[in-house]
Amino acid sequence: MVDRDLASIVGMNNVITNPEILRKYSRDYSFATPKNPICIVKPANVDEVQAIVKWANEKHVPLIPVSSGEPHFRGDTVPSTENAVIVDLRRMNKIIRINRSNRVAIVEPGITFQELQKELNKEGMCAYMPLLPRNTKSLLASYLEREPITMPGIHFDSTDPMLCVEIVFGTGDRMRTGEAAGPDPLEKQWEIGKAQISSFGPTQMDPQRLVSGAQGTIGIVTWMSVKCRFISELRRAYFIPSVKLEPLIELSYKLTRIRFSGNIFILNGLNLACLFKQSAGEISALNQNLPPWIMFVSCEGYGPLPDEKVQYLEADLRELAAQYGLLPVMEIGGLSAHELNNMLDKPCPDPYWKLRLKGGFDEVMFLTIQGKTPEFAGIMEELAKQQNYPPDNIGVYIQPVVQGTSCHCEFDFYYNPASQAESDKTRLLVALTARLMEEKGAFFSRPYPELAEIAYRRSRDTAEMQKKVKNIFDPNGILNPGKLCF
Amino acid sequence: MSWENYEHDMQRCTRCSYCKYIPWRFIKNFDFMEGCPSAARYNWHAYSAGGKFNIGYSLLKEKIEINETFLDVVYKCLMDGSCDISCKVGQDIEPLQHMQELRIKCVDEGYLLPQHQPFIRNLRKEDNMMLKPRSERGDWAKDLPVKRATEEKVEVLYHAGCRYSYDQELWPVARAGLTLLQQAGVDVGIMGEDEACCGGRAYELGYVGEMTKFAEHQAETFRTAGIRTLVTPCADCYATYRVLYDKIGKKLNVEVYHITQYLEKLILEGKLQPKKSLPLKVTYHDPCHLGRLGEPWIHWNGKEVKVPGVLMWLHDPPKKYRRGTFGVYDAPRNVIKSIPGLNFVEMYRIREYAWCCGAGGGVIDAYPDFAEWTALERLREALSVGAEAIVSACPWCKRVFKDAAKKNGNQIEVLDIIELVQQSV
Amino acid sequence: MKLTADEYRALEDIVGPDYITQDPVIMESYNQVWGNKLAFGDKRHNPPAAVLLPGSIEEIQKIVKFCNKAGILFKASARAFEYVATYLSSERGILLELKRLNRILEIDEKNMHAVVEPYVTVYQLQDAAGRVGLYTGKPGVGYSASVISLACCHQEMTISQIYTSGYGRNVLGCEWVLPTGDILNLGTSNREGGWFSGDGPGFSLRGILRGRAGANGGNGIITKCSVKLYPWYSDPPTMQPLERKPGEALSAAQLARIPDNYKAWVFTFPTTEQMLKASTEIGQAELACIVAPAYMATGFQEEGNDEMWTKMKEGKMEDPNKIARSVPVFINGHSARELAYREKAVMAVVKKWEGYLDPDLNNPKIMAQRFQYQMWSTGIGGLRATGDFMVSIQGADGSTEMQLKFRPIEVEAFKPFRERGYIVQPNMGMSYRPMEHFSLGSSGGIATGYDPWDPESLAAAREYMNLVYDPNGPFRRFGYTNRGAMMQVEAIEHIHERWGPIYDHADKWLQKVRNMLDPNRVADWSGYIPPEYESQKKKSAS
Repeated sequence: MVDRDLASIVGMNNVITNPEILRKYSRDYSFATPKNPICIVKPANVDEVQAIVKWANEKHVPLIPVSSGEPHFRGDTVPSTENAVIVDLRRMNKIIRINRSNRVAIVEPGITFQELQKELNKEGMCAYMPLLPRNTKSLLASYLEREPITMPGIHFDSTDPMLCVEIVFGTGDRMRTGEAAGPDPLEKQWEIGKAQISSFGPTQMDPQRLVSGAQGTIGIVTWMSVKCRFISELRRAYFIPSVKLEPLIELSYKLTRIRFSGNIFILNGLNLACLFKQSAGEISALNQNLPPWIMFVSCEGYGPLPDEKVQYLEADLRELAAQYGLLPVMEIGGLSAHELNNMLDKPCPDPYWKLRLKGGFDEVMFLTIQGKTPEFAGIMEELAKQQNYPPDNIGVYIQPVVQGTSCHCEFDFYYNPASQAESDKTRLLVALTARLMEEKGAFFSRPYPELAEIAYRRSRDTAEMQKKVKNIFDPNGILNPGKLCF
Repeated sequence: MSWENYEHDMQRCTRCSYCKYIPWRFIKNFDFMEGCPSAARYNWHAYSAGGKFNIGYSLLKEKIEINETFLDVVYKCLMDGSCDISCKVGQDIEPLQHMQELRIKCVDEGYLLPQHQPFIRNLRKEDNMMLKPRSERGDWAKDLPVKRATEEKVEVLYHAGCRYSYDQELWPVARAGLTLLQQAGVDVGIMGEDEACCGGRAYELGYVGEMTKFAEHQAETFRTAGIRTLVTPCADCYATYRVLYDKIGKKLNVEVYHITQYLEKLILEGKLQPKKSLPLKVTYHDPCHLGRLGEPWIHWNGKEVKVPGVLMWLHDPPKKYRRGTFGVYDAPRNVIKSIPGLNFVEMYRIREYAWCCGAGGGVIDAYPDFAEWTALERLREALSVGAEAIVSACPWCKRVFKDAAKKNGNQIEVLDIIELVQQSV
Repeated sequence: MKLTADEYRALEDIVGPDYITQDPVIMESYNQVWGNKLAFGDKRHNPPAAVLLPGSIEEIQKIVKFCNKAGILFKASARAFEYVATYLSSERGILLELKRLNRILEIDEKNMHAVVEPYVTVYQLQDAAGRVGLYTGKPGVGYSASVISLACCHQEMTISQIYTSGYGRNVLGCEWVLPTGDILNLGTSNREGGWFSGDGPGFSLRGILRGRAGANGGNGIITKCSVKLYPWYSDPPTMQPLERKPGEALSAAQLARIPDNYKAWVFTFPTTEQMLKASTEIGQAELACIVAPAYMATGFQEEGNDEMWTKMKEGKMEDPNKIARSVPVFINGHSARELAYREKAVMAVVKKWEGYLDPDLNNPKIMAQRFQYQMWSTGIGGLRATGDFMVSIQGADGSTEMQLKFRPIEVEAFKPFRERGYIVQPNMGMSYRPMEHFSLGSSGGIATGYDPWDPESLAAAREYMNLVYDPNGPFRRFGYTNRGAMMQVEAIEHIHERWGPIYDHADKWLQKVRNMLDPNRVADWSGYIPPEYESQKKKSAS
């Protein structure tokens, strides 16, 4: 019996077969068809993970690794096949190390942003944050998924802030990447000053790139070292409102080009309202009073002479914004930029800000270049009109990434999941949006199951190669089958 | 130093390929980054100086023999020295001298390029490299009222050189050079049909014996005629007399000037006054033999030494490498700049790292298509800086540029500095 | 057996007769590179069977497919200025010199990337990018390095990597002819919307393209690549004024002064540790575009070796003990305010750690020379001395603390060699390149000089290398050893076979990836990993 086999590895208490719980794990907020897993298994350490994976190979049982608590939204952590086992990694919830001098932390999968931030703060540091992640979100999973962080200036590479990882491949073999590889366990590495920050290799491969964006199909990551930053001693933040998106994009280009440090992103009024307000009524009301587009920029004073740093950043920001006819302000529609800046350091206090408006949402997100986002926004607007989809139910989030060389462009579709009509309408619009955006050059580098087919339409060569890679690291195809192109 | 003695240099070529380009820090336009015409024209690394070090090394180690390909690689080279200059920005090895010795070895061992044979035969028989009879040598100055240095003492000998002596189309320039000296009151004479080749071009083909013979002949002739100062309008002759004779231990007891140096001197002394304005946009082409190859020879007789604890190739006594620094670059430019009305613009590859005209190394004789290609490249560069005329200071440059200019529709005028001065005084 | 006549003809049919040769004389110019003596015991290694100059990706594909069919090894190179570039693991091997693929296809100024072909050099790109206010970092080897070789196939350790990153992290896409001859476009490569991402969909195949080093030609041929560019606030290098006095050699021509919008200093500290702490603080505050602890390199000093020795004898060289406590710091600023702040902030950090400006190290002329060398290059200074040098262990990348622990071990290991004097490490201090504002630590390594043509020096160099390569030796714990970008020849040095097992069996995975990419074993593995070790062959034979 599966549960007995697994219980011999993790102990009876850590194998869940309760049907109610299984049902919860079978589904999420996405439109994926629910499939009950056989059980949930909760390993406590990498040895147990290895044993589980080796067992799964023998028994040809699919494994779905999950690091975050619910709610889940994207379909990547629910089974796509029958008879799968969920590997819930949340028992592995240690902060293995915080090393201030190298601005690095090592965390296990079960650590959330909140938990790490709390400990980092004690050391005068904080984590690089995506835009208000949900409070149950695993930090490790977020970085693995390549969720964009809000500070593009230091986002050198798509994998940032991820550094080294320990992986259990689909074969059950364990590997540590980058500087973490070697003859010593971590503790002994620390003795010789190693801090698991050099992320390359070992040798002539970068295995950590093979698990980044892989949705658990190549290996299970059992810890990750992550870049952290020093807390700013002084900070000031600004909204930059605009009727049109284009001038904000020009300013964003300029700021990212000069590697302006600090938060930089653009939201439409609705998404900004959703960040601040809790209830649908408040959100809607606020949205009416906000400009169509708002850029958020923070001037972060870390390092020497923080006052002077912030001063010059502010002056430069004002000057640059003026070139595009824009004016940075500290308040807008009663909202404080400073307050938002503080919010950004933490996860969302309630389950998730995207649930606030209608209780449900779906996303279309892709990479593009900053300059194309107005075109995509225009396409979205047109498409929503055609489909009679209320524009006030569509949030937009534009996040420059990789130091502005590309851009995460996201459309959030808010709907009431209890309403079949709204669900259907949203599902249709999501499919149409994805298809149309892809035709216009959107690059779905994070293809969650719903949109995987569209994502791979022009990447058949990538799919072919990924299958070959998977054949090396997970030859029996037991890791999260049905995701990506597998 | 014989070819085998360059084993050190062959070993220590790192294959950086810097020999193919002008020194990187001097690149102004990547369309004109190449310095070595052979490497630019011919596809294989062997055609570069570094490649020749490689095949030289393999020859030394008896892995290959001299054959048709070997000769092709060795002789499809203008011996212009651009590689040498670029290499020596960062290395202490001698690419050009190695290639010279390789040619000498080929000739000594009887590996003779057939295309060169008529020229060498004519040199031996008629004392010139132009396939012409000796008797016609003085025709360029036939009706010019000028002293014959063989008959009367002169202060300055004007040595025309083979190209000027026999290339009728270029006679006006040779004559103009002489006339300018006379105009400036210089007591100048010529050898006329008694003038002989300097032997320099033969040397560059590997015929060191021929040049030695001519060096001895010239020394004796000049001594007999009491020549103290020699002025030549030919850069090849300049380099031969000034540098190569010294190199082989036959240094002349004569002060050697290129015409541009002498004109500069006369202009500074006020004896020539360029007055007439010439409204023309010009660029100056540094002839290899006046520029980097015109740098005086440095004799060194020493050995490589090791200093304990210091891992560097050192020499005892210290060896001063010729890196092209002391070639003649400024005199021609000063002359051009002294002419009113001229708008002078530099090309991208100039001075020590100038692109060759295409006439050197026996290429104009053996591989005229390569010579033409090289010249066309240079004209393209001149046009790219907006020049209406390319000005040089050597008849070989002028000849090859003129022929190439005809090929591309005469988009640019080809002048010698002498012509500019002549038009302006 | 090299190539049969039919095989040669088939290849000739692909590229045309002008672009292929197997002439033995010509082949001898494709088998002699610096470093050969150390690896092979001679200046020469075996020549290739043929050299080809393909003119297009279509030709490359056809060549590679033919190699698969005929069982011919292939390897591509740009300028081939390093020894594993021309070496082939079998005499039935051909070189593809990519000199005909030499275009900068695109510089996307707004989105800050360039798409280039293999023969485009760093300096070319620095100049072209500089014209639109962008920059790409300068590697140790300098001007002539191929952008693609650096980013995809080899190393990409740059002096400015504190600011411009490296080791493949700037790759935003590439067009890759696989060892099978199929084409793989990473991410958005070759798409109309632009080459802005090389990752996905899903996980990134950059993971098998390269790691700390690239495959050195062993996993196919990159025919185009998109690389990230960085802000540049001055004129491009070809427009910077150079100064040279009459009578000075070309090598003396140097930047007249530090460009506007940049400032450069060398700070000296009472101890190395203080220097490193200051460097780290400056770096972590994102103040600098170059922080190069103990890396004083200015490029060539003096015209030649003899002149250099004279200067050394006159005591005019920089004191190595001082160098070990000094750090060049360059800053830039898009605005006068930014530059002013950064300067003030740097000075504050320097003051905090008791640093000062030593006038000898801050001579304006030398500083301008240093700027020129570290931003663009002036050539490869290390090769003039004797024609080769080694880097000591590479792969010891990481934190300052680790470097501090590592260095005494290296000093101790080198001590007997220093005493014997046949090989030298001229710099007593650490010299390393921090990366991404120190968030990835620093790359380690120090140049060791030796004379390949002095038998005692060569023997000592080999002995030292063996020590560096010994997995049970003093460097075992610090990083996967290699002679810089995995430049060792695996068949000779067996690094993967010896170190892989103690580094999480990285070699096993790499070998699987290699064999997956190249099932017919036609992509040369000399600077990569062999399809099978000799020991594996023997095992399967028995």
